[in-house]
This record gives sequence, C-alpha cells and structure tokens, in this order.
Amino acid sequence: MSGYIGEVVESGTKGFIARSPRVGEAPSFGSFVRTDAGSPVYGLVYEIITGSREPGRKPDAYDMSIEELRREQPQIFELLKTEFHVLTLGYLEAGKIRFALSPLPPPIHSFVYECTDEEKEALSSEDFFLRAIISSPNVPADDLIISSLLGAQRARKNDRDFMVRMGKSLSRYLKDDYERLASILRRLL
Amino acid sequence: MIRERKDFAGELSDKIALAKEELRLRSENWEELSRKVEESRTSWLVAGISSPPDTAHPLPERPRSYTALSSDGSQIFPDRHEVLPCYLINISSIALTYGDNAGAKLESDPSLFYRDEDRFTTWGGKRIPADSEVISLRRTLMEFERILELVKGNETDGNTIALSDGTLILWRLEAAPPDFRNGIMVPFLRIMDEFKNLRIPVAGYISYPGSTDVINTLRVGLCPEKVSYCNRCPYTELPELPCSPIEGLTDRFLFSTVLDTGEASPVFKSSSKILDMYGVHHIYFFYVNIGEEIARVEIPEWVAGDERLLSLVHTLVFDQAKKGKGYPVVIAEAHEQAVVKAKDRDFFFSLVREAMVRADFAVTVSRKGLSKRIPGV
Repeated sequence: MSGYIGEVVESGTKGFIARSPRVGEAPSFGSFVRTDAGSPVYGLVYEIITGSREPGRKPDAYDMSIEELRREQPQIFELLKTEFHVLTLGYLEAGKIRFALSPLPPPIHSFVYECTDEEKEALSSEDFFLRAIISSPNVPADDLIISSLLGAQRARKNDRDFMVRMGKSLSRYLKDDYERLASILRRLL
Repeated sequence: MIRERKDFAGELSDKIALAKEELRLRSENWEELSRKVEESRTSWLVAGISSPPDTAHPLPERPRSYTALSSDGSQIFPDRHEVLPCYLINISSIALTYGDNAGAKLESDPSLFYRDEDRFTTWGGKRIPADSEVISLRRTLMEFERILELVKGNETDGNTIALSDGTLILWRLEAAPPDFRNGIMVPFLRIMDEFKNLRIPVAGYISYPGSTDVINTLRVGLCPEKVSYCNRCPYTELPELPCSPIEGLTDRFLFSTVLDTGEASPVFKSSSKILDMYGVHHIYFFYVNIGEEIARVEIPEWVAGDERLLSLVHTLVFDQAKKGKGYPVVIAEAHEQAVVKAKDRDFFFSLVREAMVRADFAVTVSRKGLSKRIPGV
C-alpha cells in the first residue's frame, strides 16, 4: 500500500479518476499507471486537475508566492485537491496483460501506482496503446501519443528499433491524415 | 422607506458628531464618569471604564509564528414530523498554524442524540423536551470543549489564541431556572478555568456589532443627575430626555470615527447580569478597526488584565481578519466545516428511516411531513 500515487474516486470501464495524496503532485501526463485491487487495470494519465475540494468554493487570488501562502494561508492547501484522469489500456488476467477493457472497472478507493519499467515494456510491446489513444474521444490524443511513446522508450533504455516500429504503426493508423502524422513524428524527434 | 432612511442618515451624522465630542470631553475626566457609571442604576447595559475611553491603541507587532484555534457547530433539530425523535450536532475543529511550522487542521465530527437524557432537560424541576434553545446552548458548550481538546492535542506555543464566533456572554441563561442554568454554566466556567491555567486567551468575535454599551455610558455622562437612576428619572415630563441626543447610535458608529485601521479601543467592562456568575472570567470587551468594519472582541478578565495576552489578542484578531478579507479566517473555516445544509438534513432523516425499515419497524411519518415531501398538483 505504501508508495501509491493516487486513490480511485471515480471509476468507469473506459477510464477512471484518482485523487493524489498531496495537492499539486501527480504522475506526469502520459505516464503508465495501474490499480491494485481486484484484477489490476492499466492505463495512461491524460489529464491532471487541481481545484477546490468543495463545490461552491472557488480558489481566490492572494497575490503571494507559494512559500508565503504556505506560511500565511495554510488552510488553502487543505481545501484543494489534485486529481488525475486515466485512460484504460488493459488489465491483468491470470498473470498476463490483456489489451482490452476490463470486465469490471477498478473498485473505488483502490490505490494507483506508477508502472514499473517491466510493466511499461509489457504495455508497449505491441502498438495497442497507440490504437487505444487514437480511438478515444475526449483525450488530447497527439500529445498523449508523444508523451507515452517517450516514456516507454525511456523504460526500454532508448531502444531505437522500438521507436521505428511504433512510427510505422502510427503511419498505418494515420494514413489518411498526413499532416497530423508528420506533426507527431517531427515532435518525437 | 429609502427616503426615511436618508433623513435618518442625516440625523445620524449629527448624533455621531455629538457622541464623538462627548467621548472626548468625558475622557478628560474619565474617573468621574467611571464612578458615576458604577453608582448609577440604568435600564440599559453600560460599559465600565478604567482608562480614557477615547484612547486608540496602535496595532502591536504580530509574532511571526502563531496558532489560531476555533470551533463551530451546526445541528439538525429534532422534528416531530419525522420517524424518530433524535437530533444531530456537527462540531468542527480548526487549528491554523502560521509561520515556520505552518499547517492546517480542518475537521468536523457529528454526534447523534437520541437517548432520553439527550432529548429531555430539567427546567425548574420539570422534565421538558430539549428545544432548539437548549440544543443551541449544549452546542456552544461542545464548541468550547472542542477548542480545549485542540489545545491539548496540539503543540501550542506561547502565541495561541482560541477564537469563537459571537459573544462569550451566555445572556440567554439569565431567564433560565437555576437547575438548567448551572447545567450549562458550571461546565462552561470549568472549561474557561482550563484555558486560564493554560494561559491561552479566549476571545469572542462579533462582526458588525449592534451593541450600545459605550454610547449608554456617555448617556449616563449626559444625565444632569449626580447619580442616574433611570426608573426614578425626573426628566420624563420634558419633550426630550437629557440623555436622548445620542440615543439610537451603536458603539460601532462612534468608534469608526475614533479608530484608524488596526487600532483598538480601550478595554471596557460588560455589565450583563449573567456575568455575576462568571467570577474571574467576567467578560470585558474592546472594539477594533479591521479596515472593512469595526468589530467587537470579548475577552475574560484574566486576558483583559494581562498586557501581553491583550496585545496578542489585538494583533492576532486583526491578522485573522486581514487574512479572511474582513472576517477571521479561522472562524470562517470553522463555520464552513461545521455547516449542515437542508439537503444534509433530508439525507440524515432518510438514513434514519432506512435503518428503521432494515430493522423491520413499521415506519410512519406525519401526514404533514409527507405532504411537504410529495406535493401534488
């Protein structure tokens, strides 16, 4: 249970929302994460939002630096929350990752962990995660592709062949939209 | 209405000018006024004075680190149209620490009351149902208990203040019979004793105060009699009483002309009747210019008589109000954490009803309650 980076507060089949234990901290955009309870679900962080914990109370402008705010208005950090949204990529079944939506969403209050390098390798061994991103509405797809690819490549010790393979997959998926493909590839270099 | 208001405003500025002049004059010979106030028997509350009342005390320097504590309560009153006679009190506890070890603790804790000893109270030897008045007094007691728990549970340094919303004068108890009054007063004073032993100043904060104690003291000054006995007033035949010219003013108006932002008035002694029971905790008060308004701050005698604690209250109350844009942030948060809204109330009673149903009770609510819930067309 220690070392978790979030707790599921809203859960659905296509994705879930998790609350960070500390305001302003969250797994970075595009990182691979997993849940711990039931059959673990794997996903990608595509949105991070910090705001008021209570509806009807909005953050105010104080004209102070963060350090000064911590010293002079300590309560506001208790009244804010940071949540991150995760797009589901797959789930674990009998010790094997399945690249499909889980039969059941992760239980509310299950903890969320950053994936290990081995898990990231396994999740990016095929190009299904790219497919999942491209076919999801309401996610910033192009940037998510770039960030997740770079993260996966780091976990794979900068494996060049991996990038080439994924580049080919992308050009298949985006063959009808050359401009979009070119912009993603240029930003990956 | 507006026209009348306008006329009144014109009259008001004349009264304020007069009151301010009175204050200046009486301050030159304040011992005389102080003596007269003590000997007089008026029909209104007067402020006891022990220094020139027009003095403006500058804002003391704020300690870099300090802790502000507060608690507030909110309740769901018993509803006789509901399935079970019970009530809920939600009490918040707030500890805000500023400076080097800054941090915040914002919590609330609801309690359910349903036993006979909760639902009834003894009032003049008779057993009566606890009504909203009784529950509110119990709630006040719980709030102070909670602040005390906060003190004991926190590493407090020498710069800690316990701030409560509203008056420290439990004047509602004046009309209560001794058995009920003591049931509230004895534990309340015991809590105050603890604060006194811990040397943690308690202060009640009143925003937009309507009190007239100091104005009434000036009215005693205006009275031509050597000692004022209002119930034997010899001037009732006159078209206007000698003490009338400043009647209708509140202390707030007067002190807004005397105090600059951050400044505080001298300390005055409250003459509320209930304070006869307070002993060493007799309540004193002062006014402070917060910038946005004049606030009234009430303190027990052992704070009023201690230069260090008094300065601490003055500077911390001002700082809290500044942080909260005109109202002490610790009190505002205490309210926010405690508040129970109408939809919480409905949810609470629906939980009670469901629990009854699960336990195989036949649930009935009054037809009136039902008709409000499901209005037909």
